Amino acid sequence: MDWECCWNRDYVAPGDCPHVFADEDEELLLSKQARILEKCCECDRFKRDLINFRNSGNPWASVVFIINEEYLLQKAQIQSLISFLDNKTLEVRFLHELGSVLQSSVDLDEVLSVALTAITAGKGFGMNRAFLLLVNREEAQLKGHLAIGPRNIEEASQAWDEISRNDLDLKTLAQNFRKNKLTAEKAKFHDVLEQLSIPFSNHEHILIKALESRHPLLVEHAFLNPEVDLEFARLLNVDTFLIMPLISRNRKVGLIIADNCITHRPISAEDMQSLETFTFTVAFAIERAALYDRLQVELNKATEANNKLKEQQELIVKMEKMALVGRITSSIAHSIRNPLMIIGGFARSILKNTPSTDPKKNYIESILGEASQLERVLDEILNYSDSLYPTKDFWDVNQLVESSIRDAQKLFLEKGWVCHFNHADGLPMVYVDFKQVSYCVRALIQNDLEGRTGEEVGVKVYEYYGDVRIVIEDYGHKISQEEIDKLLTPFSETNEMGNGLGVALCRSMLEKQGVPLDVFASPEGGITYTITLPTRKEEQL
Amino acid sequence: MKKILVVDDEANIRILYADELAEEGYEVVTAANTAEAVEKLQESEFDLTVLDIKLKNESGIELLQKLVKERHDMPVILCSAFSCYKDDFSAWLADGYIVKSGNLDELKQEIARVLEKKSQRVKVGI
Repeated sequence: MDWECCWNRDYVAPGDCPHVFADEDEELLLSKQARILEKCCECDRFKRDLINFRNSGNPWASVVFIINEEYLLQKAQIQSLISFLDNKTLEVRFLHELGSVLQSSVDLDEVLSVALTAITAGKGFGMNRAFLLLVNREEAQLKGHLAIGPRNIEEASQAWDEISRNDLDLKTLAQNFRKNKLTAEKAKFHDVLEQLSIPFSNHEHILIKALESRHPLLVEHAFLNPEVDLEFARLLNVDTFLIMPLISRNRKVGLIIADNCITHRPISAEDMQSLETFTFTVAFAIERAALYDRLQVELNKATEANNKLKEQQELIVKMEKMALVGRITSSIAHSIRNPLMIIGGFARSILKNTPSTDPKKNYIESILGEASQLERVLDEILNYSDSLYPTKDFWDVNQLVESSIRDAQKLFLEKGWVCHFNHADGLPMVYVDFKQVSYCVRALIQNDLEGRTGEEVGVKVYEYYGDVRIVIEDYGHKISQEEIDKLLTPFSETNEMGNGLGVALCRSMLEKQGVPLDVFASPEGGITYTITLPTRKEEQL
Repeated sequence: MKKILVVDDEANIRILYADELAEEGYEVVTAANTAEAVEKLQESEFDLTVLDIKLKNESGIELLQKLVKERHDMPVILCSAFSCYKDDFSAWLADGYIVKSGNLDELKQEIARVLEKKSQRVKVGI
């Protein structure tokens, strides 16, 4: 028989076979077997040779015909399987990349960006649009959280152009989305997301049904589907969409709605299968990120509590130290006060019965003077001990100043001092330790007048930016700034016990209450002490 | 003559008070501790007690509470080396309070004030 096809030739020259070309593999030209399996079995000339062979009446012809048909069928199936495997390989690679990105992130926004980018990216599942809804257990509802995708064809073309220009991997795409588009997408879909709040109690809603069933659901003919609420269909404005519940360790995390609102590409069963595999990873990553967020909140709370505890511990230690100082000063008071009192008391008794001509009278007066001086020092030390425990309350500042001046009235009369006080009406109450502040006012007035006779001092009170000020000023008492500094230094070398401690002690006592004391010496003469008293409790500030 | 009981654990203070108050025209009896004070109070009537808050191993406040309960008509003036005792709620039961000092003028003035107040109370029958 004459054969039209070149199948029976051991080798062919380029151009002998219409399916073998000069630039193709040389094996096809030289190997009959390779040529028959790859090319001849599908060649029209070979098919015609087979028909002629069958018509020749040779009994083997029908066998060869059947074998050839079966071979072609098997070959097509193998090609199909190879194609399927190629797709699956790509999918596995994509899921692996996705899994790596998701596993390395505990930031909820980053996880969501990756998830939604993966659904809509061409390299991913290639859907046009995706909505993410999260379970809000406190409000017992499913709530719209984030969306991604174009709202119209123009926006879609622009986005696809941009993606095609930059060949980026999933991680970079997600990072770009988070950095540049997350906020914008949230704002863009704000109106839709706001309306995507479905209470768990709405068991008839398609989303709640899908979430409860825990399986993906492909919704078709949404506008005519009795299962779909018409308002919801109008909100999405798409006929076909896919609902994918996000379930992590048997806990409902949320769900994703994906659709092809622009291209209207049908959503296949394979799409559904791939997306279902993907949602396991996403759900787990979302839950983990949410748990991490909660953990951070709890960690912050624990850190804050720890800091407070440390502060309390420091306060307790401080208070213990203060209590120790209190006990020591109390003990000193009793150990020193009684002997001092006895020395001073007996000296005074002796002095009363000593004639003025007695040369020992001066000695007795000296004993009495020194004992009195030591008593004043003791008073100051005990007052300092008192200042460790301020007891604050709201007081009328006019009453406070008047009481301080009244306490010192006897001394004023003895020494011929004059104190003018300008009472002011309508002042707010001040929040201070009355005893300590009145001691300071008295001590500052006395300190100012100490060592002088016939002097005057003025005291005024007024409101100052919500606080209240007490200003004590003398008239004409000249003192340098250097002397002021020494005045404010406890036990400085120029100060003697009993009068040098006064101003320094007052400042220390007032500062412990958060009350500033400013001392100003005018070059022209005169000292001004300014005490600024708070009118609110610390927690109100 | 008004009769005053002075309770203080320091012997020299008892002597000082006795001398100074006697000069002021008071009859003064002294006690070194609570037991002695109670004994003296049982022996005779007093117009006033001057009581040290901190006695050796004892609290003057406890004696004050006993006196207020059993001898509420007799005023008590507390003496202390430490002014913060004024803040002790129990110390408010006393009729007067002074911080110890070598200058007894304040104590004398306080005694006069408290006795005057007592005499006025007696007059109006309180």
